[in-house]
Amino acid sequence: MERGLYIAASGMLTELVRQDQLANDLANASTPGYKADRSAQSSFGDLLLSNTATGQTVGPLGLGVQIAETKTDLAQGPLVQTGEPLDVALQGPGFLAVQTPQGTRYTRDGQLAVDAKGGLTTAMGNPVLDAQGKPISVAGHASDLTIAADGTITAGTTTLGKLGIVSLTNPAKQGDTLFTGTAGAAPAGTTVLQGSIEGSDTNPARVMVDMIVSLRAYESSQKVISSIDETLQQGIQSGGVA
Amino acid sequence: MPEGIYSAAAGMSAQQAQMDVLSNDIANVNTTGYKQQRLGFRDLVYEAEQGQPVGAGAATIDLGRTSAEGSLTQTGDPLSVAIVGPGFIQVRRSDGSIGLTRDGQLGLDAQGAIVTSSGERLSPPLTVPKGTDASAISIGQDGTVTANGTKVGQIQIVNVPAPGGLASVGDNLFAPTAASGAPAAEKNATLQQGALESSNVDLASAMVGMIAAQRGYELASRAIKTQDELLNVANQLVR
Repeated sequence: MERGLYIAASGMLTELVRQDQLANDLANASTPGYKADRSAQSSFGDLLLSNTATGQTVGPLGLGVQIAETKTDLAQGPLVQTGEPLDVALQGPGFLAVQTPQGTRYTRDGQLAVDAKGGLTTAMGNPVLDAQGKPISVAGHASDLTIAADGTITAGTTTLGKLGIVSLTNPAKQGDTLFTGTAGAAPAGTTVLQGSIEGSDTNPARVMVDMIVSLRAYESSQKVISSIDETLQQGIQSGGVA
Repeated sequence: MPEGIYSAAAGMSAQQAQMDVLSNDIANVNTTGYKQQRLGFRDLVYEAEQGQPVGAGAATIDLGRTSAEGSLTQTGDPLSVAIVGPGFIQVRRSDGSIGLTRDGQLGLDAQGAIVTSSGERLSPPLTVPKGTDASAISIGQDGTVTANGTKVGQIQIVNVPAPGGLASVGDNLFAPTAASGAPAAEKNATLQQGALESSNVDLASAMVGMIAAQRGYELASRAIKTQDELLNVANQLVR
């Protein structure tokens, strides 16, 4: 069958995925620690065309487009001051380590909370870990604790623990503002700011532009399909084959 | 069907919830002892679409209440107390369960028991001798209540290990839950007689929050419109 139809269809399918990612970015415009997606497109392997009669090479023919990879944009989100003692924002690269039933996960969402036993947790109730990978207890000090720039948690003169900040290679989002990835040493120069949270790094203007561009690309592919369809029809009506 | 239309809708309903919370805060700008609600956002699960991760939108998380203290308003009423510091006054609700409040607008019922403005007795109950005039009641910083110079008991200030887990039950009351833990005495708080704690709602920041929520809602609705247009384009494929 007509190869061009499938090439154009691959363009439409790719833009559809892009649109879904953009819709998710916009839905998370207020999610603390949210990192927007950027996807890169690449063509499928080219095919070398040659003249069937003479065997002469015509040139390469692309077989359409696909999303090669989705990169999470780890840009620093804006800092939003809340004044809450259990809100922390990370300034600089790095993630907080969190213990979940599925294993250790990582987050930049600093909306922390305290559970009924006095353990420091994320807003979803997963224990926040210290540099040694142990949960942190702030029992009895939920309302009067201080978190220093290096992550040390104190209440008065008592040191209660220290937030574990790790660098992450191949971070991948898994929902609930958690990331998976391979943890490494603490990144240099990252500081913890108490009383603030890091907002979403979704840039609405950029997402809007991306959405328009993607929509038009989708439309162009559709027009190509319609044109090929028309060509095929004319071929059929004139008794020949396209 | 494109998934994005649903993730955008999830984002819209999260912003709607934020708007509802802020409306409630603004309505309680004059409620004694009221604490602003905190709503957090989170992203939802990611699923592979043509091998690429695509998120399913956003949702909200209840983070409890803000901790900032409201400003103190002098009332001169001997039966109004403000809690300075963290914690709550413990009361016995009509169904027998424990309630916690920061609304220190107290009064006396027909039996001489100290009650809150909605009529709940303190827990443990405190009763002043019959016929005691309110002006003869003195409440110390540690909660000690004396009537005509005689000590009748102590108003206890309690707190829970995780205040974020308290359930709001209306009438300025919170109920302890498994998530909050059981109430225990709070040492870092004192009582001030003749004053009340105002609502800690900051109108300016609530207004800014409403604008942000509305714009977030609009942004997500744009995504729905675009997704609709995508479907329309796809529909035109078939003549």
